[in-house]
Amino acid sequence: MAGNPITKRTVILLAFVLPALVFYAFFVLAPAFGGIWYSMTDWNGVNPAYSFIGLANYREALIEDENFLKSIGFTLKYVIAMVILQNVFAIMLAVLIESRRKTKSLFRTIFFMPNMISLIIGGMMWLFIFTKVLPDLAGRTGLLFLDQSWIGDPRLSFIAIIILSLWGGVGYLMVIYIAALQNIPDHVKEAAAIDGASGWQTLRYITMPMILPAITIGVFLTLNSSFKVFEAVFALTKGGPGRATQVIALNIFDEAFSQSNRYGYASAKAMILFLIVMAITFIQLAIMKKREVEA
Amino acid sequence: MIRERNWRSGLILLVLLAGSVITLFPIYMGVLNSFKTDGELLNDVLAAPASFQFSNYAAAIDKINFWRSLGNTAVIAAVGLLGIILFSSMAGYKLSRTPGRLSRFLFSLFILSMLIPFHSTMITLTKITRELHVQGSILGLGLIYIGLGVSFAIFLYHGFVKSIPRDLDEAAVMDGCGDFRLFFVVIFPLLLPITATNAILNLLWMWNDFLLPLLMLTDSDSYTLLLSTNMLFGQYGNNDWSGILASLVMAMLPVIIFYLLLQKYILNGIADGAVKG
Repeated sequence: MAGNPITKRTVILLAFVLPALVFYAFFVLAPAFGGIWYSMTDWNGVNPAYSFIGLANYREALIEDENFLKSIGFTLKYVIAMVILQNVFAIMLAVLIESRRKTKSLFRTIFFMPNMISLIIGGMMWLFIFTKVLPDLAGRTGLLFLDQSWIGDPRLSFIAIIILSLWGGVGYLMVIYIAALQNIPDHVKEAAAIDGASGWQTLRYITMPMILPAITIGVFLTLNSSFKVFEAVFALTKGGPGRATQVIALNIFDEAFSQSNRYGYASAKAMILFLIVMAITFIQLAIMKKREVEA
Repeated sequence: MIRERNWRSGLILLVLLAGSVITLFPIYMGVLNSFKTDGELLNDVLAAPASFQFSNYAAAIDKINFWRSLGNTAVIAAVGLLGIILFSSMAGYKLSRTPGRLSRFLFSLFILSMLIPFHSTMITLTKITRELHVQGSILGLGLIYIGLGVSFAIFLYHGFVKSIPRDLDEAAVMDGCGDFRLFFVVIFPLLLPITATNAILNLLWMWNDFLLPLLMLTDSDSYTLLLSTNMLFGQYGNNDWSGILASLVMAMLPVIIFYLLLQKYILNGIADGAVKG
């Protein structure tokens, strides 16, 4: 045997891991650590010279930058609406679809389809619906509430963004909930039916508790993706009117690439978004671990 | 009792049908109006087109540079996919099989980044990719996707490898099989189910990703389908909806075809990836 077996094992380990690690280091690790560093500088992306300014960017973002604070507020509003609506709709669809026999896979195909289409494309189609089709429908059917400035009025554009996001996102969670429903053992459902449980009782006392782990996953997936929402807003309103529908990710994007080019400052905002997402994930892990211990 | 069940079943069917109509409505409206003249469209969005304007589609293929954009998107996804599958399966397998502190550290290093939102790294990423000269080319973009994609793929491979008996490795080693041959000849074929899941999830992600190409590609000749689509309002007048809709239909066609052909695998892959991730 040539060489120390432990060293040889290490060399082989590195040989297998290195290709992935190199790409990962350049395009994920370096930007992540670089971002932490730049968030404490006044780097502007154009001028190669910059200086270290400590936490001044964070202070500015969290205390003085009204637009950024408003974007956090708007994102929170969006997150709350999405966590509730997306999961409620997805569970409802999953339960209803699972109760069908012949049409089950047809409905699943239909409801998941929007998830396959980019929100950039879907968003432009909905823009057509909101600006052309609904006003036209209102005139024809007398449903006058449809004829609104869906994109121009901040209150309504919030609803429009929610509708687009639900359209694109419900199918994804539905697939997860359907998988969870299929994991409920048949004998549990049969026992409930023999005991004379009504449909509602079965749902409340059998189905919901059995899919609770999936609900945890669904809620956190929605939390995670909603805090990072970008495309739905970009496609529909670009953050407008004014900055009324600007979300955190769009605020960062604008700060870095279309308005000020203050890369250092935008990096600080990006770190704040990272901290929010990380906090959510740790809460999720803690909850899941606790439940595993109890189970 | 039976009557009540029928009544309830009918109601459920009705709700699902209504939901389907709402879900498909934008797509239906988009397709329907893409065949009209602009005058017809402005006159009545709901009516069927008087005659099908296929010229809208001929123009759309031109405006979004369809074949070129499709080819670019395919090259980017192919480069990314090849790298992600190859490098992640190697790393996931070896990390799963090797005990020890170094192995655990490397695995956590990969997993940790699944927490980081892309928006938090994108600013510095533009600087690094410019310095590495991978910015601006579709090949370079494919390479960047490898970096962004490996951690989740490694995670899935790492979990799957545990279900493959170690005896296999040991038997092969006894037969004098080297580490790389063992992996590529014996192990990799056994990873097929998780490779399929990884391929589908990553393909969909790269195909529908918008922000990274937006930051990396500046020359319209290297645009992906989505980037070309994003430029539509500049290409057409803001109210040239029939032309815009024809372009949107073309842009989503590849993914719809892909979905209808492979939906069983896609739905399984999605459920798999989400629950494990």
